[in-house]
Amino acid sequence: MDFLTDIWMWFPEVLRVLVVNGLLIVAIVIPLMLAVAYFTFAERKIIGYMQVRVGPNRVGPRGWLQPIADAVKLMFKEIIVPSRANRYLFRIAPLLALGPALAAWAVMPFTDKWVLANIDASLLYVLAMTSMGVYGVIIAGWASNSKYAFLGAMRSAAQIVAYEIAMGFALVGVLMVAGSLNLHQIVTAQAGGIQQWYFLPLFPLFIVYFISGVAETNRAPFDVAEGESEIVAGFHVEYSGMAFAIFFLAEYANMILIAALTVTLFLGGWMPPFDVVPFTLVPSIVWFCVKVTMVAFFFLWFRATFPRYRYDQIMRLGWKVFIPVTLVWITVIGVFRFFTPYGHWFQ
Amino acid sequence: MTVLEISFYLFSLILVGSATMVVTVKNPVKSALFLVLAFFSAACIWMTLEAEFLAIVLVLVYVGAVMVLFLFVVMMLDIDVARMREGFARYLPVGIVVALVLVIELVLVLSGKFFSLDAMPRPAGHMADYSNTAELGKLLYTDYVFAFEIAGLVLLVAIVAAISLTLRRRPVTKYQSPSQQVRVTKADRLRIISDAQTESERQEDAQ
Amino acid sequence: MNALTKFLKDYSLIELLKGMRVTGGNLFAKKITVYYPEEKTPKSPRFRGLHALRRYPNGEERCIACKLCEAVCPALAITIDSTEREDGTRRTTRYDIDLFKCIYCGFCEEACPVDSIVLTDIHEFHFEEAGKHVIDKSHLLELGDQYEQQIAQARREDAPYR
Repeated sequence: MDFLTDIWMWFPEVLRVLVVNGLLIVAIVIPLMLAVAYFTFAERKIIGYMQVRVGPNRVGPRGWLQPIADAVKLMFKEIIVPSRANRYLFRIAPLLALGPALAAWAVMPFTDKWVLANIDASLLYVLAMTSMGVYGVIIAGWASNSKYAFLGAMRSAAQIVAYEIAMGFALVGVLMVAGSLNLHQIVTAQAGGIQQWYFLPLFPLFIVYFISGVAETNRAPFDVAEGESEIVAGFHVEYSGMAFAIFFLAEYANMILIAALTVTLFLGGWMPPFDVVPFTLVPSIVWFCVKVTMVAFFFLWFRATFPRYRYDQIMRLGWKVFIPVTLVWITVIGVFRFFTPYGHWFQ
Repeated sequence: MTVLEISFYLFSLILVGSATMVVTVKNPVKSALFLVLAFFSAACIWMTLEAEFLAIVLVLVYVGAVMVLFLFVVMMLDIDVARMREGFARYLPVGIVVALVLVIELVLVLSGKFFSLDAMPRPAGHMADYSNTAELGKLLYTDYVFAFEIAGLVLLVAIVAAISLTLRRRPVTKYQSPSQQVRVTKADRLRIISDAQTESERQEDAQ
Repeated sequence: MNALTKFLKDYSLIELLKGMRVTGGNLFAKKITVYYPEEKTPKSPRFRGLHALRRYPNGEERCIACKLCEAVCPALAITIDSTEREDGTRRTTRYDIDLFKCIYCGFCEEACPVDSIVLTDIHEFHFEEAGKHVIDKSHLLELGDQYEQQIAQARREDAPYR
């Protein structure tokens, strides 16, 4: 054992840091990719069930191998680059969409111990990463040399910038209550059962945050960036094969990320809902996954229920409803916390 | 070399390279994208200086919002590069003079006694649990609170001014009002006619 | 509606929750999907599928080459050549149907004075080589012979409504 340690220490520091972090990243990304694959399956199944259909059921027992079949099919398809498209940017755009969607997971506290980078401003880091995801969409739309793709990219960019603000304001409320930008500390501040979770005192912000999250990931009913009834498939019309699959992965990874963030910020992260024995015995990673699944289910439920918004109404909702609501509630929190005897409700 | 040094040189190389590309590349969209890369590398360098709050805010504000809007505009323009190059020779002397002045100023400042390496010792490193953000917040809301609030006010005025510019309404243009549209109820649009209408009522309707 | 109730109704998201109750309820509803290749829905006797040429019970082909079907076909899918047989009757030498052109409207069957050309209820058919989509007289007669029972049964069932 000592011998192995010696060999390990013999490597230069740079290499050791790279190897350890690389392995940790793989340990996060592979389960995430599996989750994404089966999230697509869950989406098709659940939306099918809600529409009184059965969804995919042919590949493997009850359709359970469907995502693998889809992945294999997409891998063997040709990636067609449209004529007069910007070849280099066309190829790099899917990676620019996927990169931030994965990078944001670096600071996600899965349990009390499991976090890759417990940095101090981790909430800001997540916001910065999610706001960069829009580049993949814009560049894809522009580089495709296609009207529909360009329209989709424009819609998506304006929408993401608008809802980013509402989302940021909703998070300000969490910061005021938790007194920290660190996701880990925000979760530990919610310890002690369901009545301590922030979704109760911050209920309007919780709703605004989640709906903005749906809009930010371009999901129904805010999916005008794809809008297949108007602009074919929006920014990724011209993409096929694996390049398309990467956009797909990015979209679903973003959805799971928003779900995980909602859980971390408002639903107590890895904490059990009741601080008594049968609940505390369950490992915290299980609580985290269960909660993320429940929130992610709402994405699918929304898609099965609501028709697509008209574009100007999306903008109205973002700027004229969500931002005022968050501003009012931030004031309410501030006033209650510091100027009334009920401050402990907001702590 | 430590990891820190390697990452510093790596990010500086990318920063300088992409900054050069911003001014040399022909396509304005590409040049805007290189500017994004330059911002991002600068943020990475700030990160190595333990200024993680500033670094992340740089990414969040400049990369995430400002450059997106910038790209928005640049992509919609159909810029004729050849015509823009026409005045190049004419403006070159002015450009060279400005560049020279900038370089001389930088050299004077950096080699002077106030900003040289001796005058600026390396700040002490902090523990891992040191909160850059909290310190910055304390400073901003105590010592510099007036400057901070005034900056906020100036920005607010600018926002109000920019919005008021868009309020110019031409009488010929037709606008729809989404807030009015969402307020529509069934009663405004739909009239239920009873089957049990009398003949006289039907005639009234016809007239 | 007064502005305050409207405001409260909008911000309580009550309409959205109603919609979600409908879809959420359907999540547990009994599914109505028919598992197609294993399960099939019943077909009407009027179903219009693959074509066939019928014969009389004595084995004589019904078609008298009147070319009414060729004339009525809106898709110009039928091509007929005819000649006189040794016994002096007019018969087809060629009866081709282009199944890519055919729109399965059933006009040929309605036009036929001797109930020769009919549309069977076969709809699961395919072609594996280029050019096989044009089926000729022998093939059509073969189909007629093979499915005569079904064809006659369907005609009998539908007769009261004709």
